Amino acid sequence: MTGSQLKLINPIGNCDSTPGNNVLQSNVLKTPRFPAAAADILRQRHSLRNELLKQTHLIQTRIAILGGSTTIEVKNTLELFLLAQGIQPTFYESGYNRYCEDALFENPDLWNFRPDIVFIHTTWHNVSKFPELMETEVEVEAHVSREVTRFESMWEKLHAGLGTLIIQNNFDLPRLRPLGNLEASESFGRVNFLLRLNAEFANYARTHSRFLINDILYLSAQVGLAAWFDHGYWYNFHMALSPTATVALARNVAAIVKSVYGKSKKCLVLDLDNTLWGGVIGDDGVSNLVLGRDHPIGEAFLNFQQYVKDLQRRGVILAVCSKNDAENAKEGFSHPDSVLKLKDFSAFKANWDPKPENIRKVAEELNIGLDALVFVDDNPVERALVEEHLPEVAVPDMGMDVSCFAERLEYEGYFEVDKVVQDDVNRPAYYSSNAQRGAYQTAFCNYGEFLASLEMTADIGPFCPVYLERITHLINKTNQFNLTTRRYTSAEVEAVTRDSAFITLYGRLADKFGDNGLVSVVIGQVYDQMVELDLWLMSCRVLKREMELAMFDALVERCQALGIRKITGVYVPSKKNSMVAEHYAILGFSRVDGTSGGREVWQYDVPQAYSTGARYIRRTVEALPAAAKA
Amino acid sequence: MTKVEFLLELDEILGLRAGTIRGSEKLDDLENWDSAALIGFVAMAEANSGVSISPHQIVNCSTVTDLLRLAQVEGSSS
Repeated sequence: MTGSQLKLINPIGNCDSTPGNNVLQSNVLKTPRFPAAAADILRQRHSLRNELLKQTHLIQTRIAILGGSTTIEVKNTLELFLLAQGIQPTFYESGYNRYCEDALFENPDLWNFRPDIVFIHTTWHNVSKFPELMETEVEVEAHVSREVTRFESMWEKLHAGLGTLIIQNNFDLPRLRPLGNLEASESFGRVNFLLRLNAEFANYARTHSRFLINDILYLSAQVGLAAWFDHGYWYNFHMALSPTATVALARNVAAIVKSVYGKSKKCLVLDLDNTLWGGVIGDDGVSNLVLGRDHPIGEAFLNFQQYVKDLQRRGVILAVCSKNDAENAKEGFSHPDSVLKLKDFSAFKANWDPKPENIRKVAEELNIGLDALVFVDDNPVERALVEEHLPEVAVPDMGMDVSCFAERLEYEGYFEVDKVVQDDVNRPAYYSSNAQRGAYQTAFCNYGEFLASLEMTADIGPFCPVYLERITHLINKTNQFNLTTRRYTSAEVEAVTRDSAFITLYGRLADKFGDNGLVSVVIGQVYDQMVELDLWLMSCRVLKREMELAMFDALVERCQALGIRKITGVYVPSKKNSMVAEHYAILGFSRVDGTSGGREVWQYDVPQAYSTGARYIRRTVEALPAAAKA
Repeated sequence: MTKVEFLLELDEILGLRAGTIRGSEKLDDLENWDSAALIGFVAMAEANSGVSISPHQIVNCSTVTDLLRLAQVEGSSS
């Protein structure tokens, strides 16, 4: 298709598939392998639930919903969205509008439930007192302070008593504005007041771990206030959200929970022609591509590229999968208006092979699971092919209008993160470096020579405060090189760090191509002269680099220093960790007989004299000064 | 939408085996008739009959027959 033809079929218009526009009747917001329209979700909940429950290896989680309004419809819808993400929740619901009492007075039912996550579903209706007309700034500030203190008391109680992750709604806005536009500008105006509360909530989220905001201010704007809140549902059933809004909220909360459990996507695989630019590079040539601010459609492609670039900057890995000659495809990025450059892509597949094959190769090359990929293509036939052959890959329906591409991609919440950490921001660079390493490797006939030439250094040591956030992040998102797939909350990681009954090790790896960051974690509990390994994981970006051997060397040395005679390793098979099935056997452990339920127990006698296993990694004493780690 | 189709969908919304709801039941007697079922019913009526139902109208319903009428299911007005 040429650029001029594109003008005819690609009118720039409203993204009428966005949730603000009659989502109940829309069938274009579908998530692959999940119901299309919101109406279908609400109507077919039971059969959908039964279907989704047929999945295996679901992650179990316990969620307490503390509601300032009716919550059963929220719970039921949220359950579906979580199941669609491979997470099976068990719920606790507070009594109607008992959210505060349950937390502050430590409702035994809630405490005995021991939630992993508390979701506090409050809206502007739950503000205890709004400022009075004409109250002074000082008086309004006192109202803000009182309201925030009320919520903070609840959060502190939940954190202290349950050590749980809290997901807290911020505030939506009322549909009615008795003061008109002054509601926003006067300090006693309700809109002004609610936005101040939201700023305080956000500040708390920035300064406290295990506390995340569910941004219903944004959601209500996205849906539209008139569709978000329905007076009839409120007066008759005390439902603070309309059915449309309930679906939007559940989708959003599920995206947050998914990110907490490390199930967010990591890599965006992009088609090129009519996806990143208008026109066909092989036919039209780079100079005739529709891209840039001098053309309405060209500007829309440019803005989509900018959105993709923004994703890449915050850690989403980019890959290309295009039916093109490779040289032609690469030339497209030399377009003077192209925001994306060739170096932004960590994998590049441009050839005439079927796309499912190429996407599989992208996953292999990047050492990530197919379920970490999102594939974006303007061509519905290609999308259908990928959906059919690679059901693990997320394939959003992008529609025909490039001006809506970014919104369609974003709406699914594929790349939701619970925190932006430096290691994630660096991730695309790691993978690009890996591609360089791969190319470099081909120059060697001997793999050992290749490893030696990488000049690898590892910093391996006990957990320290500066790394706890990254360690928690890695624990909750690593699936493949993970012996037990045991997840830890931040509080649990902090606890084992302080507890002398645990051996903890983190590992960082660097080489001549760059720093791979913190890539491996080991946690073991000490019993007398034995340590049982509860967790051993490693990022797949450093596979086959002997980092696991370096970690084992450090572990054995620690055991020797502590007088530990035996190491017990546990392997719990999962859908994704078959790559480490032989891990303990390779390290010289012996399997203990009589294990059952798939859980394997292995043992290793710590020798008095030990020869290190890692031949190509030099361990640095302290890569980071001790003071910096404190 | 026929009455039979409606009742089958209502079974689904309430999580009941197909054929359980016969049409004369009182809503108060249906264990699963809650806010979640209610919005499922609204979505069903809108999708199948193009009828927009307000929450106020549902409050005035006491039986499944009332829901049938509200959703303008064929033959339900007699």
